[in-house]
Parts: sequence; structure tokens; C-alpha cells
Amino acid sequence: MTAKVRTTSRWTTVLAGAAALVLMVAACGNSGGTTTARGGFQPVAQTGGAITVWVDSTRLAAAQLYQKEHPGVPMKIVTYDGDANGSNYLQTKVSLFNRTRSGWPDIVFSSQNNEVSWAVPAGFTAPLNKNLVPAALLAGWAPGANNPCTVDGTLYCLRNDLSQTVLWYNATLMTQWGYQVPTTWEQYQALGQKVAVEHPGYLVGAAGDTFTPEIYLWAAKCGANHITGPKAVTVNTTGPDCTRMAALLDTLIKNHTLSTSSVFSSDFDKNDAGKILMMPGPSWYGGSLFQGTFKVPAGQVAVAPMPQWSGEATPSVGNVGGGTWLVSAHSTNLKAAIAFLTWVTTSDDYQAKIAPGYPAYAPAATAWLANQAATGYYANDIARPLQAAAGQVWSGWGYGQFSQEAIWAATITPGLTAGKTIVSMLPAWHDAVVNYARTDGYQVSQ
Amino acid sequence: MPTDILTADAPVRPAATRPSGSARRRLPNPLSTVVLALFLLFFVLPVLWLVLATTKTDDQLVHGNPLSIGSWHALRANWDALTAFQGDTIFLWLRNSALYSCLALAITLCVAIPAGYALAMTEFRGRRTLLVLTLVVMLMPNATLVVPLFLEVNAVGLIGSMWSIVLPYSFYPFGVYLAYIFFSTALPTELLAAARLDGCSEFGVFRRIALPLATPVVALVGFFSFVANWTNYFLPYVLLPGSDQFPVQVGLGTLLDNVPQFNPTVGALAVQRPELALATLLAIIPVLVVFLFSQRFLVAGMLAGATKE
Amino acid sequence: MRRTPWPGRAGHGFVAGYVVLLIAFGVVPTGYAIYFAFTDAGNTFVGLSNFVAAAGDFRFVWAVEHVALYLVCWLAALVVFVVGLALLLHRMRARPVSRALRFLYYVPGALAGAASVLVWLFLLDPTVSPVSFLLRAFGFDTFGQVIAPGHLPVLFTFIAFWTGAGGWIVVMYGALNNISVDVLEAARIDGAGAWQTARRIQIPLLRKWIVYMVILSFAGGTQLFVEPQLLSQASVGVAGRDYSLNQLSYDFAFQNDNINTAAAISVELLLVGLVVAAVFVVRSGFFDAD
Repeated sequence: MTAKVRTTSRWTTVLAGAAALVLMVAACGNSGGTTTARGGFQPVAQTGGAITVWVDSTRLAAAQLYQKEHPGVPMKIVTYDGDANGSNYLQTKVSLFNRTRSGWPDIVFSSQNNEVSWAVPAGFTAPLNKNLVPAALLAGWAPGANNPCTVDGTLYCLRNDLSQTVLWYNATLMTQWGYQVPTTWEQYQALGQKVAVEHPGYLVGAAGDTFTPEIYLWAAKCGANHITGPKAVTVNTTGPDCTRMAALLDTLIKNHTLSTSSVFSSDFDKNDAGKILMMPGPSWYGGSLFQGTFKVPAGQVAVAPMPQWSGEATPSVGNVGGGTWLVSAHSTNLKAAIAFLTWVTTSDDYQAKIAPGYPAYAPAATAWLANQAATGYYANDIARPLQAAAGQVWSGWGYGQFSQEAIWAATITPGLTAGKTIVSMLPAWHDAVVNYARTDGYQVSQ
Repeated sequence: MPTDILTADAPVRPAATRPSGSARRRLPNPLSTVVLALFLLFFVLPVLWLVLATTKTDDQLVHGNPLSIGSWHALRANWDALTAFQGDTIFLWLRNSALYSCLALAITLCVAIPAGYALAMTEFRGRRTLLVLTLVVMLMPNATLVVPLFLEVNAVGLIGSMWSIVLPYSFYPFGVYLAYIFFSTALPTELLAAARLDGCSEFGVFRRIALPLATPVVALVGFFSFVANWTNYFLPYVLLPGSDQFPVQVGLGTLLDNVPQFNPTVGALAVQRPELALATLLAIIPVLVVFLFSQRFLVAGMLAGATKE
Repeated sequence: MRRTPWPGRAGHGFVAGYVVLLIAFGVVPTGYAIYFAFTDAGNTFVGLSNFVAAAGDFRFVWAVEHVALYLVCWLAALVVFVVGLALLLHRMRARPVSRALRFLYYVPGALAGAASVLVWLFLLDPTVSPVSFLLRAFGFDTFGQVIAPGHLPVLFTFIAFWTGAGGWIVVMYGALNNISVDVLEAARIDGAGAWQTARRIQIPLLRKWIVYMVILSFAGGTQLFVEPQLLSQASVGVAGRDYSLNQLSYDFAFQNDNINTAAAISVELLLVGLVVAAVFVVRSGFFDAD
């Protein structure tokens, strides 16, 4: 019995020691950090040194090229997943670095547009339009391109590329069947109904992807995702603009001219890829989807502006992706970081010649489009519709911390598979958006 | 594998003294054969598909027969494309994985086997507490352990060092329990008592008597620890600061994020699915080799039971 | 008590190394996580409010239901088939075949996490699956139909069993090998058939191993994470996101930067695991030497 008691006491000592250790570690962990520096940005002591650059695999080429062109700049290049599919790697790491007060990268590429929604409260990003990047240069970005980076008039990141939506179509088939490219959604729907009868099996679009709401509902000015402040959102999924587009989608899904499979699914690749007449979609569909995945022969794929509702005064398009560059507020070599940022977002060497996506910086985009035209792949002049669309992304759809794509995928897609209509699911979609927004601390109004 | 047959057959040797005719006469039960065969299909078919996928082009993967064989040429092309990804980085990932897993494995074995032995065969103060604590931390979901680990590793200045993951890997409570159950169910205490009477020190008893009999459990713990370390994703993903330090499991995640079908917005320079399949295969081969190696010892029966009532 | 009570420090010497690792990488992080569960971001004690916040999340109740349903499928499949297959393999006369089968059953165990996303994407898509005839026989024509919400508990059981069963079969087989041949021979002479030998002799002697497997698998089941995550990756978020409690915990920790609520869920899962473990440990004499 005595032994038992002594046992307990010894282990109590060990456990007490462990508990003390816990507290010690806890003490050095300075909670998540809401070091808000909105008003006046105070850079840390500029001691210089190597800049740490975080890029995803695709942007690795940019960092390597910069290093090659500027061998004198000490750089440490680190690849990470680029926060693909909302992995939140960057946020997780920054939150850990905030606790240990060290380790932040100087400049980061992210394939997400909504990073500032957490990065500003976390005090991670440096305000770029406050003496860091000249206003004259910033004026070169496509109108609205840097909206995702702007909080209360301050710019916290720079857009790398745009993913404005346009209407892709097969020019060969259009001519062959004597169809006109639709300019209004009404014409688009009518053509869909015609195709269903005259050429069953052929598609005028796809509605099975996670980014379906961004292609159709964003372009239709549906107010499901109206971010009104740093932590405020208005969610209205049942307004006339939403239901009108949802009804259009339902009609065309029902007559099978809109696919409900993801354009990246094996099902689509096997059964539908050869039967695309039209496909509203982002700028990267051309290279990545038609040329890369579906291997559509040269001379067939063409681009037209996104259809509009008839009588609509201001044309509007959606957006599917496009990455951003963030500079750390903790950087000890802001000069080198900004120099890299400027080069990587604006230089023709990277943006026009190597970058796979449509550059957000307008002069680079012009050069990029010229290079695309030179390949001779497309059946018409893609530059004009793409350039026009770049400035028409509807600003009423915001970039919140919650992922509209994820919400759509989990809420609407299974219902579509089960045969429900989108119109009937709009209320459920609303509830899901509201729930997720609240979880992320948003004030929701409806 | 001659040793394999020797050791693995040891426990059934007495059975062989039965009239061999009776053993022969009993044909395998058809029902159990069917069950075993069905499960074989269940376990193997997906792996077979994966192996075949490496010999195809992405196009064949979708349009061809799922269980058809591609071509040598396609395999070669996949290999070239995979090794070209970020310039040979796949080999760096594999090397990192091997380094971390083997170091952690060595420490685990040195620490877990004696601990399991002491917990099973000796009485000492705090034994039960140790068993309970081990169980508690084993049952703790790891979602929230990463942050404390990061802070701890940072506090001792190991951020950026490979020890920041090797040391947490080395802590393998599952293995301690395996060893504990093994020793407590299979090692006869009489043997130890006899050795002690012969004047063996406690360490001597462990070293000369227990350890040689413990080959199966050493193999078991070693194998499972190796696999756990090799396939760990989240810890290195969060703890390691440099992409040149990533193990192959994190590397596979990186590749996956570059496949357009899993990450539509990736753009050009994308990774094709057969390349991912090939990388997957490369990543599991070491595990399978270690399995085959340790299987020689895994089931090497004990004289065990015989002296234990 | 047949364990040798040592007066000396030998026992402590044997466990010293392990105790250091246990404290550094087990006790301290776990203690810290528990500390998180009862404090807020500013390190102030907040009582149970993190637990309230977690339970109040709109996904919480669904997640509990999902996990409960999965647990039933998973534990039943695991215990029955692992023990059954180990016994069948152990009875096999042709040792090389038995050895080869154990290896082949194990192979999927090497395919963890990201490695198997690709496999399941293709396997579950009737358009390209090697078992599309089976899927179509069940009336599924598209990937979307296969991964319909109602099918998920069974799908996750399949995935978890596919990767996890082989390892346990090896463990059980090894344990069966430790049963004395004489005992089995005696039973045979007494006229016991395969079924009776298994029920009366082998399974009781495997008790500790089975208890260990059940404790860990129960905890592993409540902590369901890998399988839904994997399917979520394969389906680009259509199925399996926010499915389980542990995923919710990860969401809180890494999507919302709210480690405190995440820790509260972890502590709840830990408690459930411990209660079940305690029941099994006490009823089976798990901590005693035989």
C-alpha cells in the first residue's frame, strides 16, 4: 500500500512537470495574433538579406527565371501547394509563425483570390498602395482586377492572372449547322433547345463543376455572395437574377444540352468531350481544357463575349480563379520583395511569354494575347472578347473567406445527381452559404 | 527464402508427425477457398489497376479497357515526365522519406521493445500509470496536436531541422503496446526466472533470453513503425519549412494538386494521372520491400506456448 | 501476479527512453491541447464555452450521426473479417500460399492518403472502373450516383477496410502462431472441428489482441478523417467534406484558425475513446499479465 502511495506521488511529480512544460510552451505561444496595423504601416527594421519566395509548381518557373535574370539577388525559393483547393496551408503556417514570431516568407503566390480575408486581420500582408508600389504602375491592372486584394481602399495583394468568363464555341460546327453565336441569354437558351432537337447529344455548356455558380450565376448578377465589408456579407439566392439563371440552367439540363458531369471527369472526357458546341467558361478553358485535356484540333475553338440578358445596359461576366501575390508585412527586405513582385506581375519575360493564365496587368495581357494568336490554335480573334471581359467582371460577387465552390459542390451537386432542379435548391443553397459565412465570423444580412 | 521456410514452419513441425496421408487427404474447404479468393480480388484488383495505369497514357486510362496493359513506350514517357517534375525532385522526396523513416525506426526499436518488455514482465512503480498514459495519448485525435508540437519544436530551436519530425516519429505508442501484448502473452516467465537464477543481470536476461525470442514482435513493431513514418503526411506537411525537405507522401500531395482533374485551376505544366500513378507506385515499393523482408520474421513462431500454461 | 517484482531500478531503466519521448511528444502536446479546449485565443480560462461553440455548429449533429453510422459498419466488418481471415489463413496447409496471401492482403496498406485518391476516383466511376459491371449491377451509371450521401458509410468502410485490414490480419496471424501446437492437437484429438477449435480455444487466446484492435479501431473510427478527405479530394468536394467530427476539428483548427474549438472536439473524441477503452480494459483484464 505504501508503495502504491509513493507510486502515485512520483507520477504526480512527473505529471506536474509535464503540466509546467505545457504552460511554458503556452506562454511562448502568443495567441493567433490580431496585430492590426490598418492605419499606419510600420515596416520592421530593414536589415536586408535573402528574400524567401513561396510559389506553387506552376509559378516556380517565374521565380527561377527571376533568379536567373537577377543573379545578384539572394533568394530562397520554396514550393508549396499554392493553397490549391482551399488547402489553407498558407493560413495555417502564418498562424503558427505568428505564434512563434518568426519564419514568415517575404513574398507568396497563392492560387486563391480570398487570402486577404484572413491575412489582413492576421497582420501578415503589407499594404502595397501606401508608398510601396507606385500608383502609376497599379493603374495598369485591368479594371477591378485587384478588387479581391482591396480592403477599405487599401491594397494588400496584387492579382497575378484573371479568369474572366467568355463564351467558348466550336466555330466549325456553328458554321456547318448554320447557327448564330448567341449574344443574349434568351438566344442562348433558344439555341440550346434547338440543339436538343436537331443534334441531340451535343452540349451548349456544363453545369456539373464546383465553379458552375461562378460561370453562370456570377455573370447573371445573382446576389448570393455580396461581400459588403471585411466581415459582412449579403446573401440573396432567390432574387430574380438568381432564379432567372437557375431556371435557364434547369431547362437546358432537362433537355440534356447542359452536362451535369464535371468537365474534368472521366465521364465527360469519354462521352461528352467530342460533342461541345458551346461552353461558357473562364479564360483558361482554351489552353487547359480544349487544347490540353480534350485535344480539340487547331482551327475549331473560338471565343465570343459572354451572353447578356436582353435589355441589359452593363455587360457582366463571372470569374473562376486567378492567383494573387502577397508581400509579408514582416519582411526585412521589402525593397527586394517589391522588386520581385513588380517583375513577376508585370514583366513580359514572365507574364507574356511563360505564364499559362491571362495576365492581370493589362500591358502584359496584350503581349500574352499576341503570343496566343501567334500559335494559330484558335479559329477567331480571341483578344478582343477576352480583353473586354477582363474589365466586365461583376463586382457584386465578392471574395469571402468561405468557399462558394465548396458550398455549391456539397449542397447542389448531389441534388442535381438525384434529379432535383436548381431552382428548387436555391433556398437550401442560401442556408448553406449563411451557415458557412457565420462559421467564419461574418455578419450576414439577407 | 530458405530461412523463411525454416522459421515459419517451425511451429507446425509437430503437426508433420501426423500420418502425412491424413493431411493430404483433407482437401481445402471449398467455402474457405472461395472466401479467400474473393478477398484476394478485393484487395488486389485496385492495386493491379494502379500498376497497369502506369503503362498507359492519360487518354488510354479513360478510353481504354481498365485492365488492359498499355505500352512500354507510355511507361517510359510517364517516367520521363515524372522525373522532370521540378527537376528530379521525386528522388529527393524518396531520399528524405527513407532518411526520416529509418532514423525514427532505429530510435523506436531501441525504445519501444525494452519498454514493452518491462511493462509486461516486470513490476515497477508507475507501470499502470505508464500503460494508461500511453493509451490516452494513443487515443488522442491528432488534429490539435500539431500546433503544440510546432511550438515545442520551436521552443527547442529545431524548426527547419529534420529532427523536428524524426523525434516525434520515434514516439510510437502503438509499438509499445504491440510489444507489451506480445511479451505478456507469449514469453514464459519461468524462462526468465531460470536465467536470473543462473546469475544473469536484468539487462542480460532481456538481451540473452527475451530479445532472441522476440524476433517476431521486433519485426512487427519495426514494420509498422516504418510504414507509419513513411506514410505520415500531416506532420511533415505542417512542420517542415522547406520544400526540399518534403518526404514522398507530401510530394504525392503536391503532384495531386498539379493534376487538372483534382485541381481544375492549375493551368499548364500539369501532371498527368499516369505520372501520379507511377509516383504512387514508387512511393509504396519501399513499404512492400520492407514488408517482405520483415515477413520472414513476423510469424516465426515461438517455442512459446509450449512452456506457458 | 506472476510478474517478477523487482526491487531495483531495472524496470525504470527499460522504460526511461520511452518515458522521455512519451512526455515530450505525447503528454505535453495532449496536455496542451486539453489546455486549449478550456481557454480562448487570449489564453483566458473560458470553462466549457468552446464545447458549447462546437456543439452549436450547424455541422456538429450531422457529423455525430455520420460517425455513429460509419462506426457500426466499420467495427462489424473489421472484427468479423479480420479474425475470420486470420483463422482461415492459419488453417491453410500450403504455407507459401498463406504467406503470399497475407502479403497481397496487406499491399493496399501501403497506399495511404494521397496515394489512393487516384485509385478510388477511378474505381468508383462506372465509366472507367475495372468493376464497372458491379457498379452498374447496383444501378449506378455515374460517379455522382455512386458517391450519393446515403452510400458514404459503406464506401468509407470499404476504403478503410481495404487499407487497414491487411495489417491487422498479419498481427492476428502472428498471435495465432503463438498458440501452442499441443493445445490445438489436443483439441483435434478430442474431436473438435475447425469451428469449435476457433471458438473455444483460438479466439479466447487471442483475447488481448482482439481487445487491442477493438479499442484502437473504435477510437480510429470515431476519429474518421482520411477516408472522407480522400473521397472529397477525388470528387472535388462533392462528397465527404465536413463529414466527420474530426474533419470538423481540422476545419476549426486550420480553416477558421480557431484551435480552441478544435481542441474541444478532440477532447470529446478522446473521452469517448477512453470510456470505451476503459470498459474493454477492465472487462478483459487487459493490463494484467496472464
